[in-house]
Amino acid sequence: MDLAPVIDGFGVVLEPTNLLYCLFGVVIGMLIGVLPGLGPAATIAILLPLTIGVEPVTAIIMLAGIFYGAQYGGTITSVLLRLPGEASSVVTVFDGHALARQGKAGTALGIAAIGSFVGGTVSIVALSLVAPLVAGFALDFGPPEYTALALLGILLVSTVSSGDRLKAVIAACVGLLLATVGRDGFTSAERFTFDNLQLADGLDFVPIAMGLFGLGEILYNLEERHRKVQAPAAVANVWPSRTDLRQSSGAIGRGSVIGFVLGILPGGGAVLSSLAAYAVEKRRAKDPSRFGQGAVEGVAAPETANNAAATSSFIPLLTLGIPANATMAVIFGALLIQGVSPGPQLVTQEPELFWGVINSMYIGNILLLIMSIPLVGLFVRILRVRATVLAPITVLITLVGVYTVNNSVFDIGLVIVFGVLGYLMKKLGFDPGPLVLAFVLGSLLEDSLRRSLLIFEGDATGFFTRPISGTLLVVFLVVALLPLVRGALARRRNRSDDRTDTTTPKELV
Amino acid sequence: MTQHLGARRWTVTGLGLALTFSVAACGGNVGGGDSDADAADFPGGDPITILVGQDPGGSTDLIARALADGATEDLGVPVTVENRPGANGALAAQELAGEDPDGHTLMIYNGSLAYITPLAVPEDEAVSIDDYEIVTGISQDDYVLVTAPDSGFSTVEDLAAAGRPVTFGTTGVGTGSQLSQELLFAQAGIDATGVPFDGGSPTLTAVLGGQVDVGSIQLGEAIEQIEAGELTPIVTFAEERPSYLPDTPTAVEAGYDVPVQQSRAVFAPQGTPDEVLETLRSAFQTAFDSESYQQFNEDNQLTPNEIEGEELRERWNTNLEEYQAVVDEYGIDLGGDA
Repeated sequence: MDLAPVIDGFGVVLEPTNLLYCLFGVVIGMLIGVLPGLGPAATIAILLPLTIGVEPVTAIIMLAGIFYGAQYGGTITSVLLRLPGEASSVVTVFDGHALARQGKAGTALGIAAIGSFVGGTVSIVALSLVAPLVAGFALDFGPPEYTALALLGILLVSTVSSGDRLKAVIAACVGLLLATVGRDGFTSAERFTFDNLQLADGLDFVPIAMGLFGLGEILYNLEERHRKVQAPAAVANVWPSRTDLRQSSGAIGRGSVIGFVLGILPGGGAVLSSLAAYAVEKRRAKDPSRFGQGAVEGVAAPETANNAAATSSFIPLLTLGIPANATMAVIFGALLIQGVSPGPQLVTQEPELFWGVINSMYIGNILLLIMSIPLVGLFVRILRVRATVLAPITVLITLVGVYTVNNSVFDIGLVIVFGVLGYLMKKLGFDPGPLVLAFVLGSLLEDSLRRSLLIFEGDATGFFTRPISGTLLVVFLVVALLPLVRGALARRRNRSDDRTDTTTPKELV
Repeated sequence: MTQHLGARRWTVTGLGLALTFSVAACGGNVGGGDSDADAADFPGGDPITILVGQDPGGSTDLIARALADGATEDLGVPVTVENRPGANGALAAQELAGEDPDGHTLMIYNGSLAYITPLAVPEDEAVSIDDYEIVTGISQDDYVLVTAPDSGFSTVEDLAAAGRPVTFGTTGVGTGSQLSQELLFAQAGIDATGVPFDGGSPTLTAVLGGQVDVGSIQLGEAIEQIEAGELTPIVTFAEERPSYLPDTPTAVEAGYDVPVQQSRAVFAPQGTPDEVLETLRSAFQTAFDSESYQQFNEDNQLTPNEIEGEELRERWNTNLEEYQAVVDEYGIDLGGDA
């Protein structure tokens, strides 16, 4: 492996501007991680316009910092206040808060910070090794491969995501439909444009993301009655004892691997991997009843995993141009604004951007490790800022911001429409994530499919005779059929269970 | 419910504020109407805005910014570039038509919008260059037909002798890339299928990876790979061999009458006074003459085409007629219902 571009990448990160933006990003990330409500996807969406004036690499360094910074921040409120700041820190609440009640809040935060750092670092190293390998196949990725990849991505996003599966599929379908708006790129026929030139190029991704994630989430949060925040327990002796470290080292190792793998999968990401890592630790433990009573592993595993996943989810985006989760979709949008189209060519065409962003994560993680422990008290105080102050400011930033992206008043209207839609979706229990991802992948899917068919001269078997697209489609079929098969098996087992039930009813009672 | 109403009120207030900002930001241009009364005073003290119908960072945008820098010095007022991407520039053209004809709002107009897009989109959507004043021509960008070295093709005859249908990548529908190849393959009698990609870079990738056999790409975007030997140039679609690629024949030399180029010009709204156009033209001439701008052209493989507005209008209209005639003759269908 050629190390020169990797080292040049460090040169890029160490430029003062980039360091400053990295710091800026991780601090914002910590802040919004602490604040329940606004998640990283929403924050990045709202702050997208800020990145227009700066270099692409600087912009992405900052946005990435927000993403993994939020994973650190979310832990703090989970442990101290039993109030998860981020969805990915929900499971940390069980053991983290139990530890805090035992007066070991410092231990929990210390273990979480160390775990996060280790998980993040393991993922970055793996990312540095894997990404160039994938990029080696870059030129073999033609329209058929992208078709298969987009199909698989949309399927995974709508089935793997936590939450109601049917609702996720519905949201994804709406996203696919929205992607069809605009002048067709193959025949230049107008689709759903209502003779409006503003719609000729289709709906822009940025106002959709800013509306659904940003405005929608702000509107929804206004409804929630805000709990009074109690003064947090005093945080003492942050350095975990040697016993704690020994106890959690296995959990940190397994959490890194689980997080890394699940982060790469479309639809996976930080939330899913934190749940999975917690479940694995609980199953492996000799005494599972300790979990929920303040087991250190119960903090270490999910916190390591969510950070590892946050980092590894950059792999599909930076190497294939496929966003694996909602936050990556927004960062994808940021790259497009910068005139960079992420894809297999990125590593070779823009090595400075690629390695600059990756290496900034080392620096960012160190900054977070340094900041997270001494500044805990400060971050907790932010919770006292009232929503009635925060909300109007954020709305204003959102609307002014979206205008500046394209200098278009039409986009302001779009943000409002999608903001209301996002609000209604959240209220009715729909996750806007699958919609946004399907919207992004929808045009890729349609264009690639039609390109492939032109290349194959209409012969669809071509998809299966090419090795990469064939393999991806087999994976697609397995993922699509697995739940059905499992469902059928479970039903048969239930039926046999029923039979045993009827024969031995008394024993069961 | 009350909270919901409250939220809506904030939204409306936010929108109002955002609108106020945007109106304030445009104030400079609106005020430009004053100097309309006395064209001799142009440009007065008011800034000039150049609209660009493409995204920031693209070649049209870079050209606009290079020219704005030069013209600022000559005119003594700020010249700023604003991007209004959409519909291949038609959105920006529509906006330009609605501006005051006082020389304070201009646009970099792409030739493809004038003489290729009308062949691909329904008639009522095509923009006519007769609705604008033309300040000056700028430069031309050449298209080159490229293939991957291991495809085994190096001339148009090779493609004709392939013994199978050929696939060609285009940078989109209604672009010079599409038109140039459609014309070439129709005239050469080659059975070929066009595969539209989303711009130059994806097309280049597809050709490099052998996903399509050939592709027509703007010279500036392909020159690096051509010089590195990763792409084989087959023909250029220029009228004469571009100085940047002296060893590659033009399609005309190869026996096919298909010169297709991307050309760019500065447009102003219809009714802009002649004195104002003249002042602008001399300002752009100063920009053209500067050493830094000439270096810019060289760096981006652009061929200067700094001709008078009316000459340019005639050329572009001739192009449109000629292309229309060839397209009709060979029954080429660029768009769905063209």
